[in-house]
Amino acid sequence: MAATFRTSTAAARAFSLASPAFRTQFAARSTFTLQSALRRSAFHTSPVRALLPPLPQKIQGTVNDPVNVPSPSPTHGSYHWTIERVVSAALVPLTIAPFAAGALNPLMDGIFISAILLHSHIGFQSVIIDYLPNWRVPTIRKLFNWALNLAFVVVGWGFYEFETNDVGLTEGVKRIWKA
Amino acid sequence: MLAQRFAQTSLRRLAVQQARFAAPSAIATGRVFTTSQYRPVAATIVDEKQAQDQVLAQQRLKRPVSPHLSIYRPQVTWYLSGLNRITGCILSGTFYIFGAAYLIAPVVGWHLETASIAAAVAAWPLAVKFLAKSFFALPFTFHTFNGIRHLTWDTATMIRNKQVNITGWAVVGLSVVSALGLALI
Amino acid sequence: MALRLASRRMLAPQVFRRSMATTIEHSKGEPISTAAEALSASRPPVPASKTSTVEESKPDPDAKMKTFQIYRWNPDNPTEKPKMQSYKLDLNKTGPMMLDALIRIKNEIDPTLTFRRSCREGICGSCAMNIDGVNTLACLCRIPTESSKDSRIYPLPHTYVVKDLVPDLTQFYKQYKSIKPYLQRDTPPPDGRENRQSKAERLKLDGLYECILCACCSTSCPSYWWNSEEYLGPAVLLQSYRWIADSRDERTLQRKDALNNSMSLYRCHTILNCSRTCPKGLNPALAIAEIKKSMAFT
Repeated sequence: MAATFRTSTAAARAFSLASPAFRTQFAARSTFTLQSALRRSAFHTSPVRALLPPLPQKIQGTVNDPVNVPSPSPTHGSYHWTIERVVSAALVPLTIAPFAAGALNPLMDGIFISAILLHSHIGFQSVIIDYLPNWRVPTIRKLFNWALNLAFVVVGWGFYEFETNDVGLTEGVKRIWKA
Repeated sequence: MLAQRFAQTSLRRLAVQQARFAAPSAIATGRVFTTSQYRPVAATIVDEKQAQDQVLAQQRLKRPVSPHLSIYRPQVTWYLSGLNRITGCILSGTFYIFGAAYLIAPVVGWHLETASIAAAVAAWPLAVKFLAKSFFALPFTFHTFNGIRHLTWDTATMIRNKQVNITGWAVVGLSVVSALGLALI
Repeated sequence: MALRLASRRMLAPQVFRRSMATTIEHSKGEPISTAAEALSASRPPVPASKTSTVEESKPDPDAKMKTFQIYRWNPDNPTEKPKMQSYKLDLNKTGPMMLDALIRIKNEIDPTLTFRRSCREGICGSCAMNIDGVNTLACLCRIPTESSKDSRIYPLPHTYVVKDLVPDLTQFYKQYKSIKPYLQRDTPPPDGRENRQSKAERLKLDGLYECILCACCSTSCPSYWWNSEEYLGPAVLLQSYRWIADSRDERTLQRKDALNNSMSLYRCHTILNCSRTCPKGLNPALAIAEIKKSMAFT
């Protein structure tokens, strides 16, 4: 018994001397898997692995404190909401009118495109706000927001080119659709 | 035994009565012992740092999150809302990709003018044309009709459970039919 | 006095002495039973032939067996993943509600099953859980009678699980506290006694005051699943509207200001799972729509 003990410890020592790098790597990985298992013990019947798994539960302050109330900012709150609704509601007649009337009006086309652009921008923005929480992934959130702003400019410019050099969105869609 | 109990109770009474003969100043300020409740409980205020170290806080870190998307029953409410977002992303994504691609087309050498796209589409077989058209028509009609439904709710009307159910299925039927109509044009 | 008591106590004979603790050491003073127990610990005092025997009842041919699959997670083994455990019950011997089934499982099959319950009549909101994919109160949810299908019971979705079916609602309560759910007034009532309200004004609170804060609606909302840190969720917003709509409250503007940001209120995308699932038949979506409408141009 004692002999086996000694040989095993000797072997372990030899092993550790032979490949310290491998051993530390292995140890690091095993602790990591254990920690990650502790952290987010995923529900086993759900086949899809969550992209952004929830963090371990932490309570800000004590249980008796109310959550933090953000300072009012109507530009991101009520004004934003109202503009979103107005643009969405305006899109309905703007979409139907040119196809129904069959008239080609560059001004109407321009308004239509800007409304779509604004509507899409707000839509993508709410997707980013919903799925990339600021408290969770602040850097990625900022990155996506800037990418979205950049896309707004690029796409706006692209459609400016399209409107000035081509037949216009309504007419273009009509032609491709009937091709 | 009995004598012992008598002695105890009388001693207790005496102790209480002593408080009753309170100082006149205490009576004047309303600090009379018998009028206020006395609860021998020691309450401690736990500050945030201390609370973090507690056993409970350590237990919280190990808690799993209960299942959600995978187990919630498919209902017309949240499925249509999710579809509204997905269809919106399909339409706006196409819009964005086309706009950006049109801007860089001259540099890269693509031909994204209406005439060349129309010519390319015209060469497709009918079935492919139909599929491609319905791929865009269905999201378009659905997002439009469901968008109107959402705008109606924002005026705080048609928001009862039964109405939501009826309008939901109506939107599904209407968008499928109109998308087929658009694709067949 | 004290001295006399002490001496009395010391002089009291052994028989009258009463120990303070109320443990009963029954076999101590009885030599016969002590001897009998010492002879054989395994031998029963009464032979089996002289006792009546209760056998396990034969399986009932009319039994309506139903399987309940229940989410289990034990905080004592935190590394173990949550799992589903199934229990079979005869519905003929079970009460009509899901809570009856749960209580029967706990009483008769598995005492380690953990869930909250209190009033069993849908007024306390303790037994909120996800039953067959929908959040509801177990005490108000009938067991579906077609016993062929399994019933699945989970804790409220996307909550941190304390144990089995018990979710941690700390964040929910903290959010409720943040909307100041009480009457806020600076001016005393005109008659010095009561803050009066007309019948029409009182009518506005119907459908709001009945909320029991069971958290069914909040935890059915996908927006709340993803953003419960910042979005208040349907239940708390309904409560907020309950005070915004109250004619006696004088802090309506401040209450609206507290919601006027990107996260607190406007993460609601009118998904309407909340109204669909409310076990009390209330309409949180309508309350939120009313808040948004009243704030639209402010």
